[in-house]
Amino acid sequence: MADFQVLEQSHPRVDAWEKVTGQANYAGDVYLPGMLMCKILASTRSHARIISIDTSKATALPGVRAVITGYDFPQIRFGSGALKDRYIMARDIVYYIGEPVAAVAAEDEITAQEAIGLIEVEYEDLGAVVDPLTALRSGAPSVHPDLESYEGYGFTIEGGNICTLLDADRGDVDQAFMEADHVFEDTFRSQGINQGFLEPMACAANVEANGRLTIWASTQGPYQVRAQLASVLDMPLSNIKIIPMELGGGFGAKLRLAFEAFPALLSMRTGSPVKLINTREEVFTLNGPRHPVTNYIKTGVNNDGTIIAREAYTIFDVGAYLGAGPNSGIGHGLGAYNIPNFRLRSYGAYTNKVYVGSYRASGVADMTFAVESHMDIIAHKLGMDPLDFRLKNTIKEGDIAVNGSRVPGNGLEQTLAAIKERLGLPKELPDGHGVGIALCEWRSGTGPSTASISVNEDGTASLLTGSVDISGSDTSLASIAAEVMGISIGDIIVASRDTDLAPFTGPSGGSRIVYSQGKAVQMAAEDARDKLLALAADRLGVPQEALGCAGGRVYVHDNPPQGLTLGQLASASVNSRTGPIVGNASLSTLPYAPVFSAQAAEVEVDRATGQVKLTRYVQCQDVGVAINPMAVEGQLEGGAVQGIGRALTEDMLFDQETGAVRNPSFASYLMPLALDLPELETLMVRVPSEDGPFGARAVAEPPGFGPPAAIANAIYDAVGVRIRELPLSGERVLAALQGKISEDVAYIGDELDELKRAEGLVA
Amino acid sequence: MQKQPLEFTVNGRRRQLLVAPYYSLLDTLRDEMQLTGTKKGCDEGDCGACTVILDGKPVTSCLVLAHSARDAEITTVEGLASPDGLHAVQQAFIEKGGLQCGYCTPGLIMAAVGFLQDNPVPSEEDVKFAIGGNLCRCTGYTKVIEAIMLAAETMREQNS
Repeated sequence: MADFQVLEQSHPRVDAWEKVTGQANYAGDVYLPGMLMCKILASTRSHARIISIDTSKATALPGVRAVITGYDFPQIRFGSGALKDRYIMARDIVYYIGEPVAAVAAEDEITAQEAIGLIEVEYEDLGAVVDPLTALRSGAPSVHPDLESYEGYGFTIEGGNICTLLDADRGDVDQAFMEADHVFEDTFRSQGINQGFLEPMACAANVEANGRLTIWASTQGPYQVRAQLASVLDMPLSNIKIIPMELGGGFGAKLRLAFEAFPALLSMRTGSPVKLINTREEVFTLNGPRHPVTNYIKTGVNNDGTIIAREAYTIFDVGAYLGAGPNSGIGHGLGAYNIPNFRLRSYGAYTNKVYVGSYRASGVADMTFAVESHMDIIAHKLGMDPLDFRLKNTIKEGDIAVNGSRVPGNGLEQTLAAIKERLGLPKELPDGHGVGIALCEWRSGTGPSTASISVNEDGTASLLTGSVDISGSDTSLASIAAEVMGISIGDIIVASRDTDLAPFTGPSGGSRIVYSQGKAVQMAAEDARDKLLALAADRLGVPQEALGCAGGRVYVHDNPPQGLTLGQLASASVNSRTGPIVGNASLSTLPYAPVFSAQAAEVEVDRATGQVKLTRYVQCQDVGVAINPMAVEGQLEGGAVQGIGRALTEDMLFDQETGAVRNPSFASYLMPLALDLPELETLMVRVPSEDGPFGARAVAEPPGFGPPAAIANAIYDAVGVRIRELPLSGERVLAALQGKISEDVAYIGDELDELKRAEGLVA
Repeated sequence: MQKQPLEFTVNGRRRQLLVAPYYSLLDTLRDEMQLTGTKKGCDEGDCGACTVILDGKPVTSCLVLAHSARDAEITTVEGLASPDGLHAVQQAFIEKGGLQCGYCTPGLIMAAVGFLQDNPVPSEEDVKFAIGGNLCRCTGYTKVIEAIMLAAETMREQNS
């Protein structure tokens, strides 16, 4: 490992003091003089035409300052991508139970709530469709009958409710299936998941005297919110300032415009600041969660265990609007394996449910559950050790990844080896006890990244970035800057930011910030350091190459006592020929840098009740370089525990008739508590990436992918039943033990033929 | 509804306020006193983010009506640190990385402070039980538990 001064050492978070003393300010903590409170009226119908909305009683209620409906906004649809399929507030038609229909600003929250109850809406029901497989069938009620007229519509496959198709193909997959010694097929179903952030969505809005709009937001993507808000309000983007407040968890849910437009318009109507804070029930019913996913997988394998073909069909329920959509899942249908022939398809189907949001590498956890359960099934059917079967097929340096990139050097095999050694695999356990593994893959996220560093006259440096800190990234970015500039992390001031002040930066998501934003920070720090060296060379009368930068000084290599402190140089720079020292960097994308994680679960299954006790969970990830090991471990531990919740207890329940969320509370949506923890072991290997800052790779996404498959595989090892549907509840395991879930249970049948026919793949 | 007079002690200071009868202690601390360190995660008693210490015991302040806390002694996260520095629990959360987004942190810290008063020599299982009513989505709890164990040790040293 390189000789680091700052990196690879654990540092407390730069924001820790504020957070442990209660001084950190979140959007809900914004209190402004004369501030009004906003409440939302939600649709009570799954799919209905709005005949009339009567707001007169609400408007007349003392304390109410304004009431708005969808008709008060410009008639402009927006969307997360190209397809504009959604009004910010319902206009003419509601598409799901929970959709905002009106909003009120009142002098206090209870008055706003009372006013909401006084708004009268008359609906005329339209046909609703809730199940995505039903929605795919021709003849199903259409969620968006006028879809083809929407801006950005570019999809031509028949079948009313299909709103997107992502595909990837290589080789001759049909021929390969014919030639394979064995062909295996499985279908898996994963459940709806809520992101479970602790801070409910909140925002405050205020129109300034000059007409500019300020938004205090709980967001991962301030520039995305600014652009989308400008679009739905039909106002110049430059008239909006987004101040990203401390973020109380997002996990993807806060990447895009949420409800900021409601307090914004209400502030414009009243001239007063307006604040909106969701209730926990609203977090469950109004915000996009992840919906259930059905994954069909087919694999052709030769007798020696070599995989030669893979077909994967994914049916994503996107709810009423494309929202975050199917996105990431499709690229992961191969798993961490090199498969020469494949056909991957990912369909998004509209249903009358809350629109889909993002959550921790959306779709990949669902796909990893399917792929890694399927791999286990094949290994057992072939009589091979599950770990050896995986090793035989792993993707290697020089192979071509599913995205077409050459696979660079990585630590995949070391992660598997570490898991094998730590658990002593293969191992025999007594009946009722089992061990299972899963291999996870992701890529380091990239996208527009910028940074600016100015050196202060006392030798400290101020770092300005537009990225929101969601994972301790401010601390990691400060560490990177400190390492480059040869100062301590305490000498880096991470400046507070807003969209007026900080240069444009992509959102904080997809494990993007340390890899890409970190690279921009590294480059900006190098730029600042080079300017310091140039100035020092000038002042000391030595060539720049003769100088080094460490310990807060620039010094002469051959005569270290000779030098200048960064403070002296910064002071001198103010009146120098080249001016004050500022380092800048800007980049758009970095090359593909995969991330691999091997994970293993040990379980104990109670045959009488089906209850699964997770006793031990071990993960090993190739992190490249650990910028801040304590933060890396924190991400790995937190991600794994989210994955354990997904595996065992979390389940968003939707009414099968109406699509309404049936369990909108923490008491009924069961996230892991401290008491649920297994013995959790976190290991790292370090194979530096080619392009990340100091070789770092992304960290946060993969730890959550493995638990569903690793635990399902451990259950099979323990009691010999295969669970293909999440969560792996005691109820489901007991049903399987009693033979009530058959081995070849199919969650997808003739729908698949229908999709293939539509694409002309079968007659 | 008419606001009514209420007196209690918060972070060592006697306070007199006018508070609506339906107001929770949580909303009173936040809206009426701008003590926003205490967080609202669910307002249903499920998440523990609003935990404060009321007459020596940790409680979820969203489930306590402000007027039922009449004359009580209340400590919030803002009242933990002394002029000498942070409370041992706060310091341990920083050192062990027991926080990420920080939203559940004040509640976890107050739950831990209340718990360690009663059980200065806890086992890890005791700690898990003590924070069994506090949801954290970021950390996976491991470093939170390590922090509370470290704080217990520090507090024993401070008291010996």
